[in-house]
Amino acid sequence: MEGVTDALNADAVQSLASGAPEWLQNRRLDAWATYERTPMPSTRLEEWRYTDLSRLLELDSLEPLPWSKRTFDRASAPASLDAALEADREASGRVVELDGSVAHVELDADLAEKGVRLLSLRDAVEEIPEVLERRLATEALPATDGKFQALNAALWQDGIVLVVPRGVRMEDPIRVTRHVSRTGQAIFSRVLIVAEPGSQVSFVDEIVSEDLEEQTLFSSAVEIFAEDAAQVQYVSLQRMGRGAFHLAQQRTIAGKDSTLDTLNVTMGASISRLDLNARLMGPGANSDMLGLCFGDGDQHFDHNTSQDHDAPHTHSDLLYKGALDDRARSVFRGIIRVAKGSQQTDAYQTNRNLLLSEHARADSLPNLEIEADDVRCSHGATVGQLDQDHLFYLMSRGLSRPQAERLVVIGFLGEVLQRLPLGGVVEKVSRGIEEKLNG
Amino acid sequence: MAEWVKAATTEECSGEGCVHAATPEGEAVVVVKVDGEYFALEDRCSHQDFPLSDGSIENGQIECVFHGARFDVRTGKAKSLPAIKPVKTYPVEVRGDEIWVQVGG
Amino acid sequence: MPQNEVVQDLGLDEYKYHFITEDEPVFRSGRGLNEKVVREISAQKDEPQWMLDFRLKALEIYNSKPMPTWGGDLSNLENVLEDIFFYVRPQDKMEHSWDDVPPNIKETFERLGIPEAEQKVLAGVGAQYESEMVYHSLKKEWDDKGVIFDSIEDGLKNHPELFREYFGTVIPAADNKFSAMNAAVWSGGSFVYIPKGVELDTPLQAYFRVNQEQMGQFERTLIIAEEGSKAHYIEGCTAPVYSTESFHSGVIEIVVKPGAHFRYTTIQNWSNNMYNLVTQRAMVHENATMEWLDGNLGSKLTMKYPSCYLMGEGAHGSVLSIAYSGDGQHQDTGGKVVHAAPNTTSQIVSKSISKGTGRSTYRGLCQVHEGATNAKSNVECDALLINETSRTDTYPYIEIEEKKSNIGHEATVSKVGDEQLFYLMSRGMSEEEAMALIVRGFIEPIAKLLPLEYAVELNRLIELEMEGSVG
Repeated sequence: MEGVTDALNADAVQSLASGAPEWLQNRRLDAWATYERTPMPSTRLEEWRYTDLSRLLELDSLEPLPWSKRTFDRASAPASLDAALEADREASGRVVELDGSVAHVELDADLAEKGVRLLSLRDAVEEIPEVLERRLATEALPATDGKFQALNAALWQDGIVLVVPRGVRMEDPIRVTRHVSRTGQAIFSRVLIVAEPGSQVSFVDEIVSEDLEEQTLFSSAVEIFAEDAAQVQYVSLQRMGRGAFHLAQQRTIAGKDSTLDTLNVTMGASISRLDLNARLMGPGANSDMLGLCFGDGDQHFDHNTSQDHDAPHTHSDLLYKGALDDRARSVFRGIIRVAKGSQQTDAYQTNRNLLLSEHARADSLPNLEIEADDVRCSHGATVGQLDQDHLFYLMSRGLSRPQAERLVVIGFLGEVLQRLPLGGVVEKVSRGIEEKLNG
Repeated sequence: MAEWVKAATTEECSGEGCVHAATPEGEAVVVVKVDGEYFALEDRCSHQDFPLSDGSIENGQIECVFHGARFDVRTGKAKSLPAIKPVKTYPVEVRGDEIWVQVGG
Repeated sequence: MPQNEVVQDLGLDEYKYHFITEDEPVFRSGRGLNEKVVREISAQKDEPQWMLDFRLKALEIYNSKPMPTWGGDLSNLENVLEDIFFYVRPQDKMEHSWDDVPPNIKETFERLGIPEAEQKVLAGVGAQYESEMVYHSLKKEWDDKGVIFDSIEDGLKNHPELFREYFGTVIPAADNKFSAMNAAVWSGGSFVYIPKGVELDTPLQAYFRVNQEQMGQFERTLIIAEEGSKAHYIEGCTAPVYSTESFHSGVIEIVVKPGAHFRYTTIQNWSNNMYNLVTQRAMVHENATMEWLDGNLGSKLTMKYPSCYLMGEGAHGSVLSIAYSGDGQHQDTGGKVVHAAPNTTSQIVSKSISKGTGRSTYRGLCQVHEGATNAKSNVECDALLINETSRTDTYPYIEIEEKKSNIGHEATVSKVGDEQLFYLMSRGMSEEEAMALIVRGFIEPIAKLLPLEYAVELNRLIELEMEGSVG
């Protein structure tokens, strides 16, 4: 029973489950049983080859974080949270989560009237149980998917649920800002987004913290459903401080003729692991998958993506870019799987890495498994240094070397942002990159 | 900062060709005996980080049991593929029946 | 076409190498792999003690390693290995004159076209039948220049120091489960030594034939190309088709010294009941070049990833690979390049064709160590799918520790385009002719690097295989 500790144990699950409806109690307990019997992933597993949890994750020293009702007061918000909110622009709705507990929810009144539901996961258990019973940790991220999927499904403290009814289109994004301040804790949070047929929504999920003295685990499980012809954009901005171990699991399920795009920006935390699986389940489904990371110091980023084409006429296009300075290290492991019968599929995958220092390291594993013949698939991966010609050109125009380097790096990573130019996101990320370059 | 620490006793690493794992000051070290002399190397193969202490000694070289990489016990130099990089070596002193190594250097 | 005169019948056609030679081996080990078999092999070869020790240690390593769970389907392999003969000695000694080879074996190789090829286009020829080299010869001019081209057994006997200096240093027994197996039971293969500055203008060729049912062939080749030398070695492989499965597991070690240039070409056309699990690796020193040209057409399952370890500054390595997977076949092939020194360059080009229920997998590694400044590597993988039941996979590993490097990998998967077919058919071609032309065009960049006789045979194979591929 690897990974059962003073903080993470059956008692913790029991205490979270008590008082909950029976289906939820069972779901948590089953998830816990799965967690207990699933071995801790080791580097012998292909998907964990470059991230050695036995060295990087201090599960034993994490303390339990019991859920408590938190209130949000903007005036006393910590600096990183305040800055994140300050930079936010117009929104259809806003959520603030503090140490894994949703403290504030607001939604545009018109949208509420049209039936949009934006609420904390805890409230959703009371108010829309039928949605959760059907969708929470079932189709998208069931506990049986893996050790950490099970752990989150057993121990989630709170989270965010968004349901967009049929045909409703939201002009501005939903903006979620999460803040972590309690060091040495393990926090488990979930997101569930259901976009009903023909609806449209963008969702920006940002997490920030100051530097954390002891390792702090933030586990996020994100489940997104785009039903027929729905359009969803999901953006994750991870800007946690050092000491954080950010563990994100995301699965997107795209129905017939839907569009379900994601952007994952990884800037912060000491260790960040992302598992993203895009499932194209209905004919005509489309997913763009974008990612960018910038690592410095001794940051360790591991991106594990998969594109599953389970229906004909589906399209996916992935672009992940990384810049790595100091001793930072990034891993990209991506796979395109085209199932038998998924004819007329286009699937692309590109990973590009820039090494900015002598000691940085990038590993790239872009994989393909193709079982249909009428497909267009390709992948490409590159690792290299700053384009010297480009640098010299800029310097010949009077820029100093650092200025020129900064411009080239921003240009390199900026290509990703241009493909999903959501208001507020581009500025925040650009500023984050600049801060790192100045750092 | 370099410091001398006790890694093993001569009793723990007595036979010719003996391979003994030790963790003085939390550092993974493998102590070996070759031609009556003691040597200490980093207990981590430079090929895929497996412990060398599971391996064996032949012709003054320690062989990693996992993929057959070999290292000169005196210099730490790689002597056979698939290893390319050397492994770290530590100065060794025998003080009575104790084997001391200088770590953190 | 005048070249036709020198075209060997290499068995790349529809499987015409299904003929069985009736013969009685002079010695055969028991079935399965155990210490007794290993000791028997060593005794049969009258080996020095160190080699017996090496084999026995390798057997231990083999037993301690798990069966790989990646790559192809090896689930039935353990059953197969219990039943096969690990060592079959077809005759008492190896011959250097073709006339002295026993008639039944001679006839086999004559049907494979070996003697004519030797006269016409080769610097030297070796032939392995079952577990032993039955014939080895080298043209006198090369012998006079100090070139050694001999069976691996004679290499050990006649050049013990040179042999021991390099044997097992490029591919240690413990490298993987099958290199351990080979190290325990190796038999046959070539020992090649090209002296400093010697450039062979025609290739050396080794031919591998498995005739017996249920046997395993474990050749071991050690090649040392001294400074500034240049040579090309070709191996070809066939076996009859039996209802039971056979096994081939070779280990090829090559040391390419500074400034030398070595090319190793494999055209493997084992029968479709053969497991072919091979480890090939070259250690490439300063300013030396190693080229692997790898053609995998036969076998039930091949797992083979020729490697270049670029150890010296300016070293260059390349792997050019063609795989063809027809019904029931799985070619799990690719290449590995490890950059361990500055200014090293490498290239991997892989082209695969999957037809029917065939599956082609590219698996590769590009690794750049810290300090290998200005390393450049380029990998291109193209997969062509002929039918909707065909499958292809691509699994590259790119591990980069050096900022000053330039590494690229590209892969594409495509089917034969309807527009292309339509265009060619509008020019009067049948659909099958058009398909064959497109496939030929697809592999042409690699096929053109093959010796002519192989290229011609390869094209013939493709035409035959494309019959019945459409509709």
